[in-house]
Amino acid sequence: MTTESMPTPTKAETAQNPRALARARKRRSIARFWREYRGHRSGLWGLAALALIALVALFAPQLVGADSQSVTGAPGGALESPSGEFPLGTDQFGRSVLALLVWGTRVSLTVGLLAAFLCVAIGTVVGIVAGHFHGWYSTVLMRITDWFLVMPTLVLAIALATVMDRSMWTVIIAIGVTTWPTTARLVRAQTLAVESRPYIERARALGGGHGHIMVRHVLPNVMPLVLAQTTLVISSAILTEATLAFLGLSDPTTTSWGGMLQDAREAGAVSAGHWWYLAPPGIAIAVVALAFTLCGRAIESVLNPKLGVAR
Amino acid sequence: MVERVPPRSAQPRSRLRVLLASGAAALALAAGSIVPGVPLGAAPQQAQAADGGKSTLTVAVAQSVDSLSPFLAQKLMSTSISRLMYDFLTNYDPKDNHAVPGLATKWEPSADKLTWTYTIRSDSKWSDGQQATAEDAAWTFNKMMTDEGAAQANGNFVANFKKVTAPSPTQLVIELKQPQATMAALDVPIVPKHVWEKVGDFSKFNNDKTFPIVGNGPFILTDYKVDQYVKLKANKDFWRGKPKFDELVFKTYKDQDAAVAALRKGEVSFVAGSPALTPAQAASLKGEKNVKVNEGPGRRFFALATNPGAQTKDGKKFGNGNKALLDQKVRQALFLSIDRKTIIDKVFQGHAVEGQGYIPPRFSAYHWQPTAEQSLAYDPAKAAELLDEAGYELKGDQRVGKDGKPLDLRILCHATDPNDKAIGKYLKEWWGKLGIGLKVDCLDDVSVPWYAGEYDLAFDGWSVNPDPDFVLGIHTCAALPAKAKDSASTDNFICDKKYDELYKKQLAEYDPAKRAEIVNQMQSWLYDSGYMNVIAYPNAVEAYRTDQIKSITTMPEAAGNIYGQDGYWSWWSAAPASGGSSDGSGGSNSTGVVIGIIVVVVVLAGGGLFIAMRRRNTADDRE
Repeated sequence: MTTESMPTPTKAETAQNPRALARARKRRSIARFWREYRGHRSGLWGLAALALIALVALFAPQLVGADSQSVTGAPGGALESPSGEFPLGTDQFGRSVLALLVWGTRVSLTVGLLAAFLCVAIGTVVGIVAGHFHGWYSTVLMRITDWFLVMPTLVLAIALATVMDRSMWTVIIAIGVTTWPTTARLVRAQTLAVESRPYIERARALGGGHGHIMVRHVLPNVMPLVLAQTTLVISSAILTEATLAFLGLSDPTTTSWGGMLQDAREAGAVSAGHWWYLAPPGIAIAVVALAFTLCGRAIESVLNPKLGVAR
Repeated sequence: MVERVPPRSAQPRSRLRVLLASGAAALALAAGSIVPGVPLGAAPQQAQAADGGKSTLTVAVAQSVDSLSPFLAQKLMSTSISRLMYDFLTNYDPKDNHAVPGLATKWEPSADKLTWTYTIRSDSKWSDGQQATAEDAAWTFNKMMTDEGAAQANGNFVANFKKVTAPSPTQLVIELKQPQATMAALDVPIVPKHVWEKVGDFSKFNNDKTFPIVGNGPFILTDYKVDQYVKLKANKDFWRGKPKFDELVFKTYKDQDAAVAALRKGEVSFVAGSPALTPAQAASLKGEKNVKVNEGPGRRFFALATNPGAQTKDGKKFGNGNKALLDQKVRQALFLSIDRKTIIDKVFQGHAVEGQGYIPPRFSAYHWQPTAEQSLAYDPAKAAELLDEAGYELKGDQRVGKDGKPLDLRILCHATDPNDKAIGKYLKEWWGKLGIGLKVDCLDDVSVPWYAGEYDLAFDGWSVNPDPDFVLGIHTCAALPAKAKDSASTDNFICDKKYDELYKKQLAEYDPAKRAEIVNQMQSWLYDSGYMNVIAYPNAVEAYRTDQIKSITTMPEAAGNIYGQDGYWSWWSAAPASGGSSDGSGGSNSTGVVIGIIVVVVVLAGGGLFIAMRRRNTADDRE
């Protein structure tokens, strides 16, 4: 190629070009990510399961009817065994267990996603700040993190859920504020690694302040790690939500999978041997948690090849 | 110096083996201490069964003991144990609830009905060998009259006493300020004076330090562990006759399904539901061999209490009850929109009777039914009308008061009672249709917000005695707390002049028919007020093993309950079946061992798998 063929860029084009370039680079990296992700078959299974579950949650009213949670309009008798009308039988109020299972998807996903988001948000902020600033500031933050790390998560969450009102938001907050320390430690380690790179020093030399370095340089570099961590935290958040609901610490009037297990236990379904009431919510919890874990592992190994095989 | 050095190649493996062995040992220890945790309580029982062929009746209960001191005990579990430990002056007949002799053989009022003379039996002995006399009874009553700490549980019985004396060991004389109708139904355990006069602070003494506890009832309490078990042995010298079982154990099962499983396996002989077995449990136990499900009319009522504005005795208001509930129309509208029949059919699944008056139909002498025009049957249209009249108009889908605030209520529910939660769901929907918001607050311990008056509505229930004085007394002004947020005998902060007058009148009325008439007026007032809305009278649903208990007396005898009777009849009369409970505890021990072995095997297998996987992992790493 010759230099003649290169058109002289106009002013508008120079302004547009870097942005277009960046966009193209981003597109390329996403395509590369997807290509590598496709290589992980378990990750694909997880993703497919998640897509299905998300669709079920979104279209719950269309799938099983908007009033299927109502106790006053319950169609069946109490604790019926599976039949054509009720494929998974009925609960003690005569509501279809399948319909409740579908509605429970919403609560489990909402709580799982929001709690994981809260947890990762706290963890990222604490981690980056503790990694960026040295001295007593970081020490104090990390000791607080350590304190939360050694506290048994479930006990702390139970204590919080007991003190506050019984509602979905309580459960989200209880999970969020008790599970962030691992993320914080992870992000801090990555921050330290990123900050030791020479370009950070260059940025600082060019007059970049703390905020600029943390937001423009460190954050984008820890983002992949944070993303992988989020997908992994979601599954544990869903499990914790189910545990708290099973222990009777969530709002008794909303339908969730843990709450269904609690209802089944209270109705005496365990000793009466009504497996169709007990097994589906338990399996559903396991499937969703598994799907998120599979996706999380796949993302993690794509973004961080060092982790790929060992874990 | 020569050190023995193991061959290098063997080292890692031997270390692994030591690790495995120590792990297995630790697991076995852990399994030994954890898994047979339940049968551990059964172990001494079995030992006794071996040395003298003793028969043991094990009862699974869910409620905790609040106190073993009869001056403090208020929970059904504790008062039932008090009845077994101490004799009362009189008892209720299991057939028709009329008063029969207890510690007293005879009781007579004077002509002016203000002096009652009781003849105390001379064949009742305390378990430490001393004679039980009128002096013990007089001391018990005097203590309750003079010491506020001793009047906490049963103070209502002695509030009207002027003087109690014991002129002779067999004669007890009680002088009254005013006539009192409950004199043949004083539900007060009589305690031995020579033991209890050493007690300092009655409001703190829980009677659970030295065992066996000196008593003169059909059973003697020998051991107690908080939330684990209460053990009693038969009192051989009991005047009515020795109980047929040698030992009675109340074992705590916090989980009802676990209790039912224990009954199936024969680890316990009897399951007292909390408050009843669930319909599913009862249905599944009905098909079981050697298990009998007993269902009888309950002693309890299940009601919806509305906060009338908490206040102290001197009228100081406290708490934060919703002001809208001060309007009788709103309270009645709430009750009008509850379909009690659906609750009976769906929540209790027929194991209850629809609620009407305050006192359950089992006590037919005092049961009252609302007249046709005052009856608040399910009628949502009328409820909406009443709410409109009260000034809460429907805006959109919400009832909004004159102050512009939507009508949102809270209801206190017991987190341990599944019925509360289930009915809460129905209420939320019914009231939601009317435009009233409802928040169901389920707590393990409702007493804190309750005593503080920080509730709008609450699920409420009491076990009623054959004599209704106690459950009527908890709604009088005298029962209100002295200070805000103090514990008091009031149930729901109700205080009304008319009701109080009727209460005094019924207490002073000796003629049963006339007294019942006054009690009916009180129930009518309670019903109209909308403060206590009785939804249902739950049945007692309980189950026992017929291969361990041959026969047991229910109360009422025809079709009644077994656990929580007004007397000691059930446990005193229970007869062991041949080959009784020793089999059961033996079985439980062996199942414990089996479970322990299985756990150890599973964990070992898991550990082996883990190590194998790690090996493979390291092999991968090497590649």
